[in-house]
Amino acid sequence: MFRYFHNHFQAFSRGLIRIKSNLGGSIMMFIIIGITLCLPSAGYLIVENVRQISTKIQHEAEISIFLKKDISQDQIDFIDLALKSSSEIKKIHFEPKLVAWKKLQTKLKLSTLDVGISKNPLPHGFFITLNTLSKVKINQLTEDLKLIDGIDNIIVDGSWIKKLRAVIYIIKAGLFSLGALLVVVLIVIISNTIRLQTLTYQNEILVSKLIGATNSFIHRPFIYTGLIYGLGGGVITVSILKGTVIVFNNVAERYEYILGNSIVLLGLSSTDYLIILMSAMLIGLFSSFFSARQSIKRLENS
Amino acid sequence: MIKFDKVFKKYPGEMDALQDINLEISSGELVFVTGSSGAGKSTLLKLMSAVERPTNGSIIFENNNLSELRNQDMPFLRRKFGMIFQDHKLLYDRNCFDNVVLPLEINDINPTDSARRVRAALNKVGLLNKERMNPVTLSGGEQQRLAIARAIVSRPSILIADEPTGNLDKGYADEIMNIFYSFQQVGVTVIVSCHELPKSPIKYKQIHLIKGQITNSDNHVPLLS
Repeated sequence: MFRYFHNHFQAFSRGLIRIKSNLGGSIMMFIIIGITLCLPSAGYLIVENVRQISTKIQHEAEISIFLKKDISQDQIDFIDLALKSSSEIKKIHFEPKLVAWKKLQTKLKLSTLDVGISKNPLPHGFFITLNTLSKVKINQLTEDLKLIDGIDNIIVDGSWIKKLRAVIYIIKAGLFSLGALLVVVLIVIISNTIRLQTLTYQNEILVSKLIGATNSFIHRPFIYTGLIYGLGGGVITVSILKGTVIVFNNVAERYEYILGNSIVLLGLSSTDYLIILMSAMLIGLFSSFFSARQSIKRLENS
Repeated sequence: MIKFDKVFKKYPGEMDALQDINLEISSGELVFVTGSSGAGKSTLLKLMSAVERPTNGSIIFENNNLSELRNQDMPFLRRKFGMIFQDHKLLYDRNCFDNVVLPLEINDINPTDSARRVRAALNKVGLLNKERMNPVTLSGGEQQRLAIARAIVSRPSILIADEPTGNLDKGYADEIMNIFYSFQQVGVTVIVSCHELPKSPIKYKQIHLIKGQITNSDNHVPLLS
């Protein structure tokens, strides 16, 4: 067991030595991997922030219920009672048509004479806030309300949230495709670097083969080099993302008095950062493994 | 120890490098493989050390038929040989110590034992004081001695040297040959290829090759006493 770990430690050390011996090139490699991974990760960061905002907004979304114009007070009371009996409803606000009309006039700064309307065109309305996020429950409630006599129209004010969510979903799918494309780019870049390294260490590979080194002994340092490239790139990605969040929030805080609202960019979770690091390392590992195997086979045959 | 039975070796698109080779080398022998350039000396040594496989025939080493050995077993067999090359094949991005320690790393020897054995090998070839130097700073003779230290550090039962003195002055060449004689004296089988037969102070076997065929395989008593 000691020998197994000692072997891997030796290979890791050799990988580190190779990185150190070409420090400039290795740093460039870290930066390339870091920035390449940063593109989909930053997109994910933005989408996650928008998604969280949309989730928050949906909590406060209202359903507007507009009543028929000729509705009686008894029917209004019945609807009020029906709404109060629903467990999905958090808050009920009744807006009589007269109040709504006055509000509209005040808002538009108009008198009835200006627009040529002598009669109030607005209906009575109930504005309810839900205490559920379930799409199924909201749909069910809407369907139930439609059956009540006296209700003319129901508008789920959160419908734009659905559109936003659909947009987020599309962006996420786009980011996934972009991420996959960039992973391929990274695999090509790392593979090429490892291939060049096998040429640099051609002499060592051939001598090691002649004196009895197994393929895994020869592959290992290259694999660790790829792994370290991935780790370095991943650390740069995480640093850029964390730095961006800090800088953005500092700037947003400075301009809070102009914007009138505080805008806070939330960072990714520790799990997300860990996933980014692990993904970068895995990309480095697999690229170097396949590249080293292919290149060394080619060297042997040449 | 090593037995060649009707061995042929042909490289693609070329003439037979070796034809109908039959020979037997016993444990502890000193063997000189002689012949002019292109006679097949290096090919013979490559077949002996399992670097290449024969096209036909069988090579038996310690009850293993090298022709039938699986690819994944080849590295483990090669570890039993100490290989020395005309061009040394040293690694110039490592110091002397790290060059010599390579076979021990491959053989999975622990670091403490490795350090001790590397120093013993360097001491044997007179390079102990140069362990931290880069091989590029050494003379041709010293580089070859370093290559010998790398070959002996894993305590092989056979030393195979392919024209080890080919690029050296006579003084350095004698120095290198004396090291080989000293190993033969302690029971190591030593196989050396060279253009001309050296003046050996000890009993040896000569295998002379002309155009891939053995023309002479005799045991000789010392030329010098």
